[in-house]
This record gives sequence, structure tokens and C-alpha cells, in this order.
Amino acid sequence: MENLKTNAEITWCPGCGNFGIFTALRNAIPKLEAKGINRKDIVITAGIGCHAKIFDYLNLSGLYGLHGRNSSNAEGMKIANPDLKIITFSGDGNGLGEGLAHTIFAAKRNQDITMILHNNSVYALTTGQYSPLTEKGWKGPSTPRGSIETPFNAISLMLEVGATFIARTFAGEITHLTDIIVQAIEHKGFSFIEVLQPAVPYHSWNEYREKVEFLEKLPETYEEAMKTAKNKHKYTLGLFYKTQRPVYHEGLYGNHNPLTKRLSRNDRITKIKQILFG
Amino acid sequence: MVHDVFTFLVGGKAGEGVKKAGSVAAHIFSSMGRQVFQMDDYMSLIRGGHNFSVVSTSSRWITSQYMKADLVVNFDKRSCDTHINDVAAGGIVIFNSDEQENADGIGIPLSSEAEKFPMKKLMYGVGAVAILSSTIGMSKDQMNQNIKNQYPSGIEDNIKFADTIYDMVKDGCQNKCPLERGVKNRPIITGNEAISLGAIAGGLDTYYGYPMTPASSILHFLAKQAENFGLAVVHAESELAVINMAIGSAFTGARSMVGTSGGGFALMTEGISLAGITETPILCVLSMRPGPATGVPTYTEQADLNFALSAGHGDFLRIVASPGTVEEVYYLTAELLDLVWKFQTPGILLTEKHLSESSMTIDLNIDDAKWAEPKMHNGGKYKRYLDTDDGISPMLFPPSKEIIKWNSYEHDEIGITTENADMIAKMHNKRNKKLNALIEHLKTQNTVNIIRGEHPTNIFTYGSTYMSVLEALKHGGLNPTIVQPIYLSPLPVWELEKFKNQDNIVIEQSVTGQFASLLKEKGGVNIRSVIKRYDGRPFDPIELSIKIKEELE
Repeated sequence: MENLKTNAEITWCPGCGNFGIFTALRNAIPKLEAKGINRKDIVITAGIGCHAKIFDYLNLSGLYGLHGRNSSNAEGMKIANPDLKIITFSGDGNGLGEGLAHTIFAAKRNQDITMILHNNSVYALTTGQYSPLTEKGWKGPSTPRGSIETPFNAISLMLEVGATFIARTFAGEITHLTDIIVQAIEHKGFSFIEVLQPAVPYHSWNEYREKVEFLEKLPETYEEAMKTAKNKHKYTLGLFYKTQRPVYHEGLYGNHNPLTKRLSRNDRITKIKQILFG
Repeated sequence: MVHDVFTFLVGGKAGEGVKKAGSVAAHIFSSMGRQVFQMDDYMSLIRGGHNFSVVSTSSRWITSQYMKADLVVNFDKRSCDTHINDVAAGGIVIFNSDEQENADGIGIPLSSEAEKFPMKKLMYGVGAVAILSSTIGMSKDQMNQNIKNQYPSGIEDNIKFADTIYDMVKDGCQNKCPLERGVKNRPIITGNEAISLGAIAGGLDTYYGYPMTPASSILHFLAKQAENFGLAVVHAESELAVINMAIGSAFTGARSMVGTSGGGFALMTEGISLAGITETPILCVLSMRPGPATGVPTYTEQADLNFALSAGHGDFLRIVASPGTVEEVYYLTAELLDLVWKFQTPGILLTEKHLSESSMTIDLNIDDAKWAEPKMHNGGKYKRYLDTDDGISPMLFPPSKEIIKWNSYEHDEIGITTENADMIAKMHNKRNKKLNALIEHLKTQNTVNIIRGEHPTNIFTYGSTYMSVLEALKHGGLNPTIVQPIYLSPLPVWELEKFKNQDNIVIEQSVTGQFASLLKEKGGVNIRSVIKRYDGRPFDPIELSIKIKEELE
């Protein structure tokens, strides 16, 4: 687990929920390795925000992208080399604000990637503005009289747009979080994990610990999952939905791999001549 | 005929087969061993409006359409009115007598004849091909063979219709402009097809696009060829996604390209900047149409030059180059793909609707395309941003035991985020060193096309305007020197030095004269005057030759 850590100085606030995610990730990788997934094949992308600092701390290859665009980077990696296992880290503002379209389209396409959405319900790094998941009434520097918007429900949103693995977990439940991460990465298709994680300057651990509860069982149908996502409160943890649907890259080119099975220069030249000269 | 050029113009509403008739004409000429330049002029709509296709052919290399046609076929009154001044002296005009009774030219009942067939108006284009066939002295058998090859659905009806029209125009058209046959059958392709083929030859693996005229046909062509060449070709949800997906692909080692026009490129600039700091090799085709904003979608301009030169926030190396001809763009696309991989930075292939969507006969040496190869890490501890003499850090792609980190934040050599003052300056210096390395490399390459003339004045031009200038000079029998920089960033000042203080004029398609400003500011080139056109239309060689002549006298 220690060799999954870089030498970078960790600059999350002491007690930040991100530490839980960092720990769970480092627990999950050896478990995946035990299941035959090669660490070399795991590639990460991150957006911008407190969530994304995990990129510097995890000793894994990847691309630290722009705010909101990390899932597009992840899609491009998977499309070019489908042998890779891609994990994309996102914040609630990053993935459901600036990057909403990309998140939705990655799910719509059922890209075979995993998105871990660090939900601290606030723009923490930029000093506490409301996010797409912040409760109505939040008094931040951009909404001094209280946010007037109703938050998204990330779980029902992902159900609606086509994600095929949808779970909510909590940075304070390391075992559950680790288990969900392992399952999500093993899942073939777009797997979405919402992780509740207190940003301590804005929310206390107790606010979460008092409210979290687990789903009794995995809803059996899409309709049941949607009902559960909408009716249960937002501290409900568990796997909400899991199904199988064709993944994007296989629809695009079957079992081809554009990178490892790329055509040689000679073959390309021959084929171009065929097009031009018959 | 204008000297040695024959021009065919066909006009009508969108949906009547105007474009197809132009393209069939182009293929007829090229199958006769002649050279061709075809330009389609169309509006941003699906049905109706006015479209026309103009096809000029010669037994020598021809680089422009001529807006004085020897044969004009009008499907409707609007076309007749629009093209009243586009007829060459002694040219033949055909009008649709079902739409108008009295017009100059030969009236044929195109509508009522087409109504006899189930395809109706869709057959107008076949009628135009029949009129052309008669005019250039082609036999009915030859014509029918062409129609069979070019219009594979409804062959019998098409031939019946063509035969009727062919006979109808016998008196006015038959063999009025017999065309000499050439010696070599050349393929005829559009600029966008040449871009696509050049990219494939250069090693393209993934292409991302969002539909936007005039770049869309790159996406269409590559999507169609994806399976044949083993490419991944994706139409994404926005240009933001397009550029970021391409950067993700490049991270894995895939040679990636994107294509768009000004508005889409505006969205991509955030990603261009990301490619700058992450040192991502990425090639972006920017095919210009008149702006600002939505502008005029289906027409041509050269007003995004400044935008391309400074695209993306921050200091980083941008390679910008613009091809002069359909042949040149094949080689240049492969060359740019190679350069962006060699220097790990974004490159922009700057072109225009006029080159993207016009068709030309080509003489290509397919094998001469460059092949994109990066400098690779050869073992040992890996540092993504290793500081080297030329600023180029060796590359490594997953899967690897070594950790490969690309970072949009300023970073250290490993790729970990930094805010350290020394490291920030060191990384700026590292990336900046690549400019010198690139310039040294480009000094060994052809970066400027120079055609020496006898007249003491030099004409500076770039992009597809080069083709207009070439044809105008040929038409006008003028011989100044032409200087066409292919590379615009870095500007090859080492090549321009000798012209600096001579008598120079600039020809470009921008109201503010962006190219002239670049030459003055970056190259110190003395410029006497600028000939501009900015009405969305490419220069006509006849009109342009008159303007050049005035400047040369």
C-alpha cells in the first residue's frame, strides 16, 4: 500500500474526507491485483479541485487534466487503448458543474471507465461557494443570502443517463468504500461512485455519521433503483444499480485496439493507393 | 474559352443534384486526362436556396475556378439571374424554359421532362451532364457509360432522360467546345480528403470531431475509412470533449487529430493550452470560414490567422502551418503530425473552406509522407518532464512499470504539481527551449514556397489564396516572384530576410490584413500594398490578375 504513495506533500486539510478515499484506493489496488488486474494497466485522470490532489499523491500513471474535462480525457484513453483500466476522479463541482455534459455523455455511451465523484457538497478549494450538489439555502461567498437552487440527485441522474454501475458510499466507511471501488473497476461499463466526504472547514464528520445508513439490498430493477434513489435520503449508502449493456469501444470497433493493433506504414500507404488509384 | 481553360457552371436549388453534377463533370474531365479545379458554392440550408458548382479544366495544372464559364446550365430562374455576368464571351447559357419564357440562351423544358420520371427534380443534374457531354463533343455511348458509373440508382431512367436532353440541345451545343485529351489520368480529391489521407499516412490512430462546416467532411471521410485503416473515429458531444478526448488518446501514445472551424476552435483553446503545458502532441485542423461568431458557415475567409497564432492562454510553443494546394496539404498534414510528436506540443493546420471543400486533380507521391515518431525513453527511471538540452523529454506510454504523469498544473520533472519559484522558471525554460530546437529543424525543411519571377515586385500570400494567385498570374501573363510561407508559427524569417526591403505586395482574404501585419511585425517585411477580398468568395483569377497588374505597373 505504501508504494502507492508518491513523495508529494499532502495539502488536504487535516481530517479531510479525501484521506478516506485515498486510503480506500490504496486498499483497492492490491485487491484488484489479486484478482488478476495488472497495476501497470491502471491509469488515472483527475479534474481540478480538492478531489484532484489525489493525482499527485497516488503513485499511478495518468493525466491531471482541466476542470471538468477529466472524463473526456478518460474516454480518449479508453478509446485509444481499451486494454487499459481507467479511473477518473471528479469533484461535485468539477463533474456535475463545469463537466456535466462530459459526465453525462460518458455514462450515455457506457464507456468502460470508473468515475469516483468526491462529493463534499461545496467548492472547497475556491473558498466555499455552493456546488451542484449543495443544499438549497447554503450561504457561501457567491450566495450571501443563501443558494436558491435545488441540488441534483447524482444517483437518479446517473440512472437516467445510462450508467451501468451506480453506488453511493462514504469516506468514513473505508471497508464499504474499498469494496465498492473494487467492484466498480471490475465492472464492464460506466461505473459511477458518489463518495460523501466532509470538507472539514464547511461540514463536520458528525453531520454525516449521524445520518448515513445502508441500503438493505441491491434494487432488482431499474424502476426500483430509480424509486430508491429518489425516495431515500441523500446519506443512503450502497449499490443502487448494476446492469450489463454494450460498452462504447466495442460498439465502435469490436475487439480491435487502435493502438496495439495499429496498421503499419506500408499497409497504410498501400491502402491509400488503392483508394486513389483503384 | 479563357485561353486554355474550359469552365462549366451548373446552378439550381439544393436537392437538385447541383454538386453531384459538378463532381461528375470533374470526373469526366479527369478521365480525359485533363486537370481540374472544382469549387462548390452552397448556402447553409438543406433544401432550396441557390447552389452552384463551377468546374474549370485545362490540359495543364489549374489551381482555380474561373467565374467566366463557357457553359452555364441553370435549373431555375434564380440561377439564370445570379449568373448573368458569369458567362465567358461566346459562352453557352442553358435555361429552364418551364420556369421562364424569354432569357438569353437556349431554353429546354427541364422540369416537364423530369416530371415524366419518378425521381423528378433529382434528375436535373443528369440533364446538366447530358448538356455538358454534348457541348464537349462526347458521344451518347460515352455519356451513357459515365452516367451508369456515376449515378448507380435508377440507371435506365437516367439514361433515357439524358438521351432526351442530349438530343434537345443538339443544335445549340453539339461539339461547340471540343476538349483536347490529356495524357495522364489523375485522381481528383478535395482538400479535406487530402488532409485525411495525409494524416493516415503520417500515422493517425484516433480522430475526434464535432460537426462544423467546413471541417465536417474530414470527420465523415475518416468515419467511413475507420474500419479500413483500423482507426477510432468519434463524433463527440462538443469541441471541449473533442480536444480533451484527443489529449487522453495521445497520453496512451495514439497519434490523434481533431478538426473544426473558428467557433469550435474557440472552445478548443482551453485544451490547446492544456496540450501546451502537458506537452501533448496534438494536431488540430482549423478550416476557416467568415467570422466573427457563426459568420457565414459555407463560405471562405482567412481571418482566424491571429487567433490560431495565439490560441490558448499562457506561454507555450504552437506550430501553425497553412497549405497552399490540395497536394501540399497531404504532405503537410503528415509532416505536422510528425512535428507535434517530435516536439510534443500542439500544432494547427490552418486552412480555409476554399481548400477544404474544393476538388483538384492531384499528382501525389503517396510514399513521400512523413511518419510521426516521438523520441522514446530507453530504460531506467522515468521522468516525464526530464529537462534536456533541447527541452524535449523522452516519451513513455502505459502500460509501464514506470510512473508516467502528465500534469495541467505547473509540475516538476516527474510530473507532480509544484508552486516552487525555481521549478516554475525551470519548466518555462525547458518548454521554451523547444522553440529553438524546432527552428533549427525547420531550417533544414521546406518552409516557404518561392516561385521566382522576372518582375522586381514580390507577392506574399498564403493558404489557398496561393492557388488563386498562381492562376491569376498565369491568366494575366504576369511574372512577379511569389512567396508563400507554409509555416506561420514559427515564421521562417530566415527565408524572408532576402525579400524584406524589396518591393512587396500581399494578397489575402481578411479585411484587416492579418497576414500583412504578421509579415511586418514578425518578419520586418516592407509591404507596399495589400490586395484583400472578404466577401466570403475566393478570388477569381481574371479579376485578381487585373488588380495585380495595376499594382505591378
